[in-house]
Amino acid sequence: MPDLSPATLLVLVPLLPLVGAILTVLLGRVLGERAHLPAMAGIAGAAAVAIVLLAATARSVSPAHGPHAEPVRPVEMISTLWQWASFDAAYAPPAGSPAADMPVSPQAAGAHADVRPFSIPVALRLDPLTATMLTIITCVGLLVAVYSTGYMHGDPGYPRFFALVAMFVFSMSMLVASSNFLLVYVFWEAVGACSYLLIGFWFTKPEAARAAKKAFLVNRVGDFGLAIAVFLLWMTYGTLDFHDSVSPDGVIMPGILGQTRLADAAGYAGGAVGTAICLLLLLAACGKSAQLPLHVWLPDAMEGPTPASALIHAATMVTAGIYLITRSAPLFAGCPGALVVVSIVGATTALVAALIGTVQNDLKRVLAYSTISQLGYMFASLGTGTLLGFTAAIFHLLTHACFKALLFLGAGSVMHAMGGVIDMRRFGGLRRVMPVTAATFVVGATALAGVAPFAGFFSKDEILAALHAKAWPAAHGGHHAAAAAEGSFRFASTGTAGGAGHGAAVGLDALDHPATWQLLFWMSLVTAGLTAFYTFRAVFMTFTGPTRVPEGAHGHGGHGGHDEHGDHAHGHAAVHGHHHPAGADDHGLAASYESPASMTVPLVILAVPSAVVGWLLFSTNWLGHFLSATPSLTAPAVAATATPHAFHMDLAVQGTLAAAIGIVLAAIGHLGRRSDGPQLERYLGPLRTLFAEKFYFDQVYAALIVRPLEGLAFLAAFVDRTVVDGFVDAVAAAPVALGSLVRRSQSGILQRYALAGVLGVLAIVVVLLAWQPRS
Amino acid sequence: MNGANLPLLQNALTVGAILFSLGLVGILTRRNLIVMFLSAEMMLQGIAVSLVAWSRYHGDWGGHVLVIFILTVAACEAAVALVFVLQAFARTGRLDSAAWQSLREATIARTVDHELPAVDTVPPRFPTLTRAGVLPPADEDEPLQRDHV
Repeated sequence: MPDLSPATLLVLVPLLPLVGAILTVLLGRVLGERAHLPAMAGIAGAAAVAIVLLAATARSVSPAHGPHAEPVRPVEMISTLWQWASFDAAYAPPAGSPAADMPVSPQAAGAHADVRPFSIPVALRLDPLTATMLTIITCVGLLVAVYSTGYMHGDPGYPRFFALVAMFVFSMSMLVASSNFLLVYVFWEAVGACSYLLIGFWFTKPEAARAAKKAFLVNRVGDFGLAIAVFLLWMTYGTLDFHDSVSPDGVIMPGILGQTRLADAAGYAGGAVGTAICLLLLLAACGKSAQLPLHVWLPDAMEGPTPASALIHAATMVTAGIYLITRSAPLFAGCPGALVVVSIVGATTALVAALIGTVQNDLKRVLAYSTISQLGYMFASLGTGTLLGFTAAIFHLLTHACFKALLFLGAGSVMHAMGGVIDMRRFGGLRRVMPVTAATFVVGATALAGVAPFAGFFSKDEILAALHAKAWPAAHGGHHAAAAAEGSFRFASTGTAGGAGHGAAVGLDALDHPATWQLLFWMSLVTAGLTAFYTFRAVFMTFTGPTRVPEGAHGHGGHGGHDEHGDHAHGHAAVHGHHHPAGADDHGLAASYESPASMTVPLVILAVPSAVVGWLLFSTNWLGHFLSATPSLTAPAVAATATPHAFHMDLAVQGTLAAAIGIVLAAIGHLGRRSDGPQLERYLGPLRTLFAEKFYFDQVYAALIVRPLEGLAFLAAFVDRTVVDGFVDAVAAAPVALGSLVRRSQSGILQRYALAGVLGVLAIVVVLLAWQPRS
Repeated sequence: MNGANLPLLQNALTVGAILFSLGLVGILTRRNLIVMFLSAEMMLQGIAVSLVAWSRYHGDWGGHVLVIFILTVAACEAAVALVFVLQAFARTGRLDSAAWQSLREATIARTVDHELPAVDTVPPRFPTLTRAGVLPPADEDEPLQRDHV
């Protein structure tokens, strides 16, 4: 009887995709066109297990409708697999830091009472947040894998693609299941590596190789922040574990996010060190989740295969930043300055990315900027620091994963049918030739635009509510201010960690003002309208109007045959300069361009949650209550901000109004017209250039960072080639030159050699006679 | 005792030095391998005379013993050296040391002071027996064999 405890099941979630990836690598050439089987079986198994775990976790959360005063009990389960490293005497914490209060086991302490042990357990955790993330990752991963069997069909790298996708699912599930900051860092890098490999999947294409490199390098900036944050956490808290652990001699070692520390009002460092940790974590999240100013890699990442874009760059990996901040909620709760920075970054990103998205003509790029924008929404929500803010962000993460994966896969379906063309100006009216794709795409777009009752409406409404509550606290009962002020942050008051930085942290705290939050709220509302505009602009340009397809496209008259794709890679498909004239279409369009069932079935499956999951989860508040049992969110500073679940009619009206204005504007500009006809964006004037040039981020980075570095590299190459290589060459040339001088003496005539010997002996004799020692 | 033998020592050393110098000049100036070998022997004998002279001057038999050793070694060395000379002659048909210049640097031209007289191309006739019995199979190394010696 196998052990089917949650601990075993939890290990299976990462393990099955890992085994699938390894099998795909080993058997890829043997399996050929069936190379997706091991990877898909692994991901499917992981998805099934994740759903079981979600149900198991949900059962242990106390019911929502209990007595009013009872706080939600934290739910977590730790499964320590093995000890990665363990040191008895690792370091001596600075006096006054929380780490100095860590209990020391008597046998470990020995002569050095102030030296603390340090260990890195490979521990997995299961709590509501992890269970939610695991379910999203594995389910979206499975649908994307199914879709990819159609999309990647015939690609020479078919086994490689599935190995990478399975590898990514493994890395991502380990990232959200790890119970240790160091492990999080390891898998933070691992998902980055998978992302790099998938963006550069068609590495022979220069743009793809460049985009992969760019994504990797920009992510390094954020990873650097995470590394420093991990060091600071260790110095401050003396451990990197999330959970409490018990040492062999029975002493409880409180983890950073363990329940011992959560219950301790003074358990978290505030002030300069606390703010620094939070800002560094934010930097890491900005890199991975493509927030300002590190967002530049995500649009370029669309060079990768579209299923990879859907899985990694829309639904899962980019949400790692959201996960990290939610997980670290207690750390942020003590630093209102850092929290408001999170919101400012998020709302600004949301607005800027939405503005850029309004003028993009590449369908995938519109979706990429939309992803950045929606992630900005989530950051804005996280920055409120309230329970509603955190749960709303995860709620939006969940709905966004559904509808953005749907939209990306729909875009991939369009791109697949159009022979690799993704420029919206070159096709149109596709609803007649791709009915399933069009219908599901519209469902996804409606969800993204936030139209009731589709998913995006409810999650966006919660985010707006969270921001609204911070901006106008009086209207919401006003107990946030009290919650934010409570808790004495002893570490800051002792001031051991540098008084200079403390002033800066206080300066940030001054930003935490209702006026700031009001501005952020309005920015988010404008973003909501812009989102609806660019989404429906894309829908109208792609699916309405006279039907046009580019020349490279290959319809198949209903027989569903797919073999004519041969083994061309979709990203390489030749781009022909002209499309069919609008009037000459009719005879050619009897053919269907619809994608095969392996691609449309995932679209339909994803369209269902995109439509209903928002209403289901919002009306029952199941997710909000479920997540509130996450240990990190039971921190007093967070839990105290809990508000009764409510539907904010005024906010809903405002949000719907914004969305309606956006859709109407898009309809005026694009509905039923030639997509290269008169466009609303024309009236933007110079702003249009600003948006089309993406606010000149790439140019500024090129001027400030890339060019100077290139100059430095050129200089280094010059020094290397002339000075260093010159020296080495000189060393090599010296014996040759010396040899050429004495080479002439090698005449091969015996008597000359004998003469040289005689002269040498004579010279020695003369020297001995001249310098004989005087005794 | 020393004072009485000093002229004898001086004379003997002079003879030794003359022998040595003659041998040295012979080695440096002559190209005939046998003559060079003889010159080397002469240098050796010069040293031997010096050793005997010093031995007698000091009344120490060590020098005499050493000379006996030298003579023995010189006999062996003579045998070996003559074999080399014979082999060299067998290869080139010459006793001229200038015929052996292959150790020189590849870029340096061969030193030729004047053309050596051509080797007698007519192979010498050796007495032969009447052919009898079965013709032995042709030796594969036949082309490599020299036509003389």
